[in-house]
Amino acid sequence: MAGPPASVMRIRTDPVLFRHRSRVVIILVFGVLGLLHLKLAQLQVIQGDAWSQLAENNRLRRIPVPAPRGRIFDRQGVVLADNAPAWQLLVFPDEAEDLEQTVAFLTDQGIIEGRDLRQKFAARRIGTMAPLVAAENLSWEHVARVRAHQSDFPELSIVGGFRRSYPWAKTTAHVVGYLRRLMEGETGGHDDFQPDQLIGAIGIENLGEDRLRGVNGERRVVVSAVGRQLGMVEEDGAIPGRDLAVTIDTRIQLAAVEALGDNAGAVVVLDVNTGAVRALYSSPSFDPNVFSSRLSPEQWSEISDDPQHPLQNRCFQGTYPPGSTIKPFLTLAGLEEDLIDPQWSVYCRGSITLYGHTFRCWRRGGHGTVAMRRALEVSCDVYFYLLGQKLGIERMASWLERFGFGRPTALGPAQEASGLIGTPEWSRRVRGTPWYAGESVSVSIGQGPVLVTAIQMARAFAMLANGGYLVQPHLIPPATPAQSEFIPLDPSGLKVVVAGLEQVVSGSEGTARSLKELPVAGKTGTAQVARLPDEGSNVERPHHLQHHAWFVGWGPIDDPEFAVAVLVEHGGGGGSVAAPAAATVFRAALQSGPGALEAGPLDFGEGG
Amino acid sequence: MQHRVDTGLMLAVVSVLAASLVNLYGVSSAVGSGLLMRQAIWIVIGLALLWACSFVRATFWEKAAPKIYALCLIALVAVLIFGQVRGGTRGWFVLGPISLQPSEFARLGTMLMVAAFLGKREEDRLDFTAFLIVSAIVAVPVALVLLEPDLGVALTFGPALVIGWWLGGLRPRVWVVVALLGVITAGVAWTTLLKPYQKERVLTVLDHDRDPYGAGYQVRQSRIAVGSGGLTGEGIGRGSQSVLRFLPAQHTDFAFAAWAEGTGFIGGSALLIAFGVILFRLGMLTERTEQRFDLSFAAVVFAWLAFQVIVNLGMVLGWLPTTGVTLPLFSYGGSSVISTCATLGIVQSIWRHRFVNQ
Repeated sequence: MAGPPASVMRIRTDPVLFRHRSRVVIILVFGVLGLLHLKLAQLQVIQGDAWSQLAENNRLRRIPVPAPRGRIFDRQGVVLADNAPAWQLLVFPDEAEDLEQTVAFLTDQGIIEGRDLRQKFAARRIGTMAPLVAAENLSWEHVARVRAHQSDFPELSIVGGFRRSYPWAKTTAHVVGYLRRLMEGETGGHDDFQPDQLIGAIGIENLGEDRLRGVNGERRVVVSAVGRQLGMVEEDGAIPGRDLAVTIDTRIQLAAVEALGDNAGAVVVLDVNTGAVRALYSSPSFDPNVFSSRLSPEQWSEISDDPQHPLQNRCFQGTYPPGSTIKPFLTLAGLEEDLIDPQWSVYCRGSITLYGHTFRCWRRGGHGTVAMRRALEVSCDVYFYLLGQKLGIERMASWLERFGFGRPTALGPAQEASGLIGTPEWSRRVRGTPWYAGESVSVSIGQGPVLVTAIQMARAFAMLANGGYLVQPHLIPPATPAQSEFIPLDPSGLKVVVAGLEQVVSGSEGTARSLKELPVAGKTGTAQVARLPDEGSNVERPHHLQHHAWFVGWGPIDDPEFAVAVLVEHGGGGGSVAAPAAATVFRAALQSGPGALEAGPLDFGEGG
Repeated sequence: MQHRVDTGLMLAVVSVLAASLVNLYGVSSAVGSGLLMRQAIWIVIGLALLWACSFVRATFWEKAAPKIYALCLIALVAVLIFGQVRGGTRGWFVLGPISLQPSEFARLGTMLMVAAFLGKREEDRLDFTAFLIVSAIVAVPVALVLLEPDLGVALTFGPALVIGWWLGGLRPRVWVVVALLGVITAGVAWTTLLKPYQKERVLTVLDHDRDPYGAGYQVRQSRIAVGSGGLTGEGIGRGSQSVLRFLPAQHTDFAFAAWAEGTGFIGGSALLIAFGVILFRLGMLTERTEQRFDLSFAAVVFAWLAFQVIVNLGMVLGWLPTTGVTLPLFSYGGSSVISTCATLGIVQSIWRHRFVNQ
């Protein structure tokens, strides 16, 4: 026999040896499996009850770790918004034996209203192991009371958190803003928002939300049946929000507060070149710190029922007739349209009759012959009645629109008012009545259907000061310089208008000559609120019918830096009330110097 | 001559897969319900693949082994370059909704290659060259998997190596050397390679009360879950450890603990017996076949499945440290189900063609 071929040989290779070896493995494995099965029997059948006991005592808690919100600094590094440590009371409703008893205890101790707590229980989602925040900003006394009864109410837990604090309180209330609780179902456009979370309601707190907000963490801990923490299982650390340096200068802001005093009104200070807002103050103001705690009904009604509406931001939510402060812009319109030149003059007798109606100049005796420069200096109404007639309402409206009136400045807050520039088309569409020719005459001195905001005014005067750039007002320094709208104006015309506005302060007849010692230019405005039948008599007007007083201007003249708009609601005369107030603001602004934190959004480390 | 598929093996495999779906349903309140449908789809694909593989002639697998092995190595290199990172491991190819873990398939390729090498050998003992070759066949893919790095999957290649040595006939004195090397490696790994948390996991096995809320937390919660299941269990989806999420990774590494909590000793035993049947049928194949390749492959697959079952249950019951070794066919994971089904498909193909001689 020659033997089988090699391939058959291989297939025929004896598997017996391999089989013996594999049997050893198989027996070994089944032995171990048997042991595992015995172990399973021991755990489940023999020790089962003991392990069940352990499972029942197992209490895992998810404790929120709040992230501190970023702080807000002014341009000099002064803290405008900070975080103060505060105690929070957490309730783990799943662990309570009798929730009603817990509610009764907390009500008796005066920590929370039972009704509020029950509402929260009803609103929460089941089975999340997450606690309810029953109360925030507990006093030491409350903390002590809860701690003393800790063993009776293991479902209560006191943890540290943060309370937002605003050291400048009323001074920066509108501009810095405050926080509010996220409403049911609202996400604010952010997926990571948790219910009950605080977000910026208004002002910089709202504008800088994405930067300021941290990411809350969570700690998973195991607690004993009496609520004692046994150990930590897992922790997702909180990521603090980032600090924010803004354009506000607190010293100018303080001057604005002083300037307005007890009057209602608005002060806006802009950097004429960049649009950076140096001060934004609305009077009367409120204390934003009250919003950091749960508001009591009394506190809320004190703010909301105030007839002066302190929550309204008069800088960009209040709209006012501009009065004479509109005159420089109509002058520019007349020059640009080639309807007038600087030499064009009118004779003011103290009044003029147009369309069968007599329109008065504010000065009864009249101004005599006035040309452009003096018309601005003395604010002669007759000059502007005639200029307005030449321009017509459509051209006035179109130029005012170009100078930034009638539309929001996009400072940021969504609630910014547009103001109003009345036109015949607007009249038909909105009022449903035809446009009266006399209304055009009113508009030419900033009365009638024309309304502006203080920030629009400040920006328009900044445009006069910087040679035609309509800057973008901003509170948070942008990463790249904000784009300005350039309005190509004839430089010689602009120069005449600027000279006229310098005369307002420095001229012997200037309506703001009380500011003579300051290197500033500007325009007063006295905006009529209502026309009284006994016009001209010396009867004192009731306060709510007093004129609104404006002064808007810029300084220093040689190298303009600041535009200042001051509005005093029902203040009376622009020259007598608003101009001195503006002087206070100008003095602070001119001394303020450069900011310590000029270079954009700065980090002060990672919060905390 | 062809045989029917091994019905006992098929019944046990389908039982484990069905139990895995029931378990996924039970833990859905803790891990989400989307996984159930995904796993069901993977299981259907896996069973279809198993069926298809069983029709292929057994000799094909022996001949194709080197090519399949080479393909697997290429995939392992590719995933290191193009793969997606999950949980710190660059181990996934992602195509839209499908993600595949090539290391799971590379294990099948490696087991085929080891069996093919042993099948070709006519000697009864491993000489030094053969020892090196067998070792290299396993070491190369393991090194690539460790680069991802995925220790849990890398460990599952171990049985193929040990079976390669054992069936091939490593001399006793070499075993002594290998064992010594193993001890030294373990010592070096303990002092230099292992991260502190890994050491803690080992130490908590020796002392269960050590660090019960840190490194020992998972195993402690797992033992509480298994133990509180008792004889009859708390009911699928009713176990407090599972529902309240004390139990970690309850659809993957600790799936058995959730099952044991829900179904008790009865359910736990049933699952254990199903795995016992799978292993027993694999053992039967080693008894019935006359081919060295067939026998080697069955033995390697046996060792691998037994290894995963023992290591996973050992971890769940608190005997072994947590390593990320899952329970095959039972833990959630598409690639694992597919590759395990493919492996068992080849086993069925060998079973059907076991007396066919050419």
